Amino acid sequence: MTATDTLPIAPPQRRRAVDADRRQAGAGWLMSAPALALMLTILIAPVLLAVVLSFTDYALGNPGFNWVGLENYERIFTRPTYAKMLGATFTYVLTVVPLSVGLGLGAALLIQSLSRGAGVYKAIYFLPVMATLLAMTIVWQLMLHPSIGVVNRGLEWVCAQPALEGLFSLSFLGLAPESTWFGRVCSQGTPLWLGDRDYAIWVVCFIGIWQGFGFNMVLYLAGLTGVSRDLYAAAEMDGARSGWERFRLVTWPALGPTTVFVVTITCIRAFQAFDTVEALFSPGGGPGKSAYVMMFAIYEKGVTQNLVGLGAAITVLFLVFVMILTLIQRWFTERKVHYA
Amino acid sequence: MATVTLRGIRKSFKETDVLRGVDLQVGDGEFVSLVGPSGCGKSTLLRIIAGLEGQSAGSVEIAGAAVDGLRAADRNLSMVFQSYALYPHLTVAENIAVPLRMRRLSTAQRLPLVGRFMPGTTARLREIEDRVQDAAGTLEIDRLLDRKPGQLSGGQRQRVALGRALVRSPAAFLLDEPLSNLDAKLRVHTRTEIAELHRRLDATFIYVTHDQVEAMTMSDRIAVMMGGEILQCDTPARIYEDPVDLRVAEFIGSPKINVLPAESDSAGRVSVMGRALPLQLEPGRRALSLGLRPEALTLTRRDPIFSGRVAHSENLGHEIYVQVTLDGGGHRVVLRADPALRAGLGLGAEAGLRFDPARAMLFDAEGRRLRGVVATAPAVREAWA
Repeated sequence: MTATDTLPIAPPQRRRAVDADRRQAGAGWLMSAPALALMLTILIAPVLLAVVLSFTDYALGNPGFNWVGLENYERIFTRPTYAKMLGATFTYVLTVVPLSVGLGLGAALLIQSLSRGAGVYKAIYFLPVMATLLAMTIVWQLMLHPSIGVVNRGLEWVCAQPALEGLFSLSFLGLAPESTWFGRVCSQGTPLWLGDRDYAIWVVCFIGIWQGFGFNMVLYLAGLTGVSRDLYAAAEMDGARSGWERFRLVTWPALGPTTVFVVTITCIRAFQAFDTVEALFSPGGGPGKSAYVMMFAIYEKGVTQNLVGLGAAITVLFLVFVMILTLIQRWFTERKVHYA
Repeated sequence: MATVTLRGIRKSFKETDVLRGVDLQVGDGEFVSLVGPSGCGKSTLLRIIAGLEGQSAGSVEIAGAAVDGLRAADRNLSMVFQSYALYPHLTVAENIAVPLRMRRLSTAQRLPLVGRFMPGTTARLREIEDRVQDAAGTLEIDRLLDRKPGQLSGGQRQRVALGRALVRSPAAFLLDEPLSNLDAKLRVHTRTEIAELHRRLDATFIYVTHDQVEAMTMSDRIAVMMGGEILQCDTPARIYEDPVDLRVAEFIGSPKINVLPAESDSAGRVSVMGRALPLQLEPGRRALSLGLRPEALTLTRRDPIFSGRVAHSENLGHEIYVQVTLDGGGHRVVLRADPALRAGLGLGAEAGLRFDPARAMLFDAEGRRLRGVVATAPAVREAWA
């Protein structure tokens, strides 16, 4: 065939190619339709629904609802209860995240330096992660009971030993007993822990760290196996004499990707703290709402008190925080962290 | 620059002896290769010299002073690793600067942000920058200084690793198989460059490799290691032409040396596969091995010592390696031939072989080289007629 022969039939050919393309695209959409439908109904739609509900005064069981505009959000940002909620949430996140990440890294480094017995330590530190938090919380509740709890009994026993009391209250340094925490415990009585608004949120934080750092440790241990032995040898040859210098030069940069992941996961888990607060405090939210964390507020407003609109507004706020975290993580992974 | 002396170095991991008494003297400015098959202990020996591993017995001296108690950072040595071991989060310039920063700056001066304001830091930093520029210039990597190792090719990374080693003037350079991650072409090129770098720096180099070609082409002396011992340490030419051990002869040279079973009778006359050779040893019956380099064998039609048939031939363009299966015994030998003879060397063609008795090497049953071999007939050099 020559070029002149093919010319007249070229346009239909092109049209046929376009048709085929369109048909293929149609088939593609058709095949991904089930997945798209599922994604829309179970992932996107609930989020959108929450956003819509946050502008209403809807309550479960009501036949209808009224649009209330930004009233729900206004409440969150003006009422003292929600100021306490944000305060407790950020206290929890800002305490639990750095400490459980730091302890996780420290434990991982120590375990990795062991030549034997590493498995035992791993199991011990990982135990709280595997245990049900709710059950563990009840155990902590008993231990922290003001009169029969083992913690306060221990404190009382130490106070009864003059030598130990002198040691822990630092009175051997010439300090007045009232000026140290331990001295006050001995003279004014042991703390109420869960019943005291000065202690409640810190107890929740402590349980959060105790429960969570083993998980971070396992992630860091996995990250440490990926650090090349040669890099440590190179650092030694280059004159990095102290363990700290080798950590700065080799370990910490190599753990960058792990750290970004660990911090993000820990942040999201910290924002989601709920079961400790729910189990520890019977009126809810702790003494004076001092441990009124966000997830608990969502549960209390949206489920217990059936204020769905308000609950949805807190949920949206929660999503915004998590979204910001995710964006920060992306920013870090893209420019700061080196993936070798 | 300095000498490096090893005396009776031993290393055992639990039951296994990795090094069994190694003695080595590396002169000032000398290029010594440690070569051997994998698992012979050469890398362990290098790590012991570096101080990255401790020896079980023996001593290491650098510039005449024992360094056994000193840790790697204090031995003033530089090392290039097989994996290059570049810090992935630092740029090329920062990577090269690390050994200087660690040694020239105090801990306080190295602090991020605040460090710059410590007294004297600016001057030191400028000096370090100059040294980095010099090193980069020497290796022609000036244009890569702002890149991260992840953005470099294997050859470029290798140069950066070299740059990091030579940026300060160490007592000696230790190189652990630096070329084995490069492709064949680049390896040949870099080989020349490292040899030239050695001449220019006039520094002491200890180079570990399993590749005998690298060892042969770059070194002043080669130490052939096997089973945790140095079998022979000599110039490349002597290692090739005058090996003291059958294992050395077999390891060095490509294609491998031909080894044929031989024996000597009570009068010391040597025969191979029933054929008497014009070689004379001390009297005494014993089993021997006859080693013949591929270029020692020649093709002949008149009065061949061996005859056989061509089993395989490899044409490399400038020469042909012909594998001949010998009649009676089925031993296969390799010889080097002129490509002009290709026509007569088809598969299955008959080939007669002879060799110059002076170029034959005899080894005893333990593989030790036998000296005192006397050629009883005048060596006849005969070309293919």
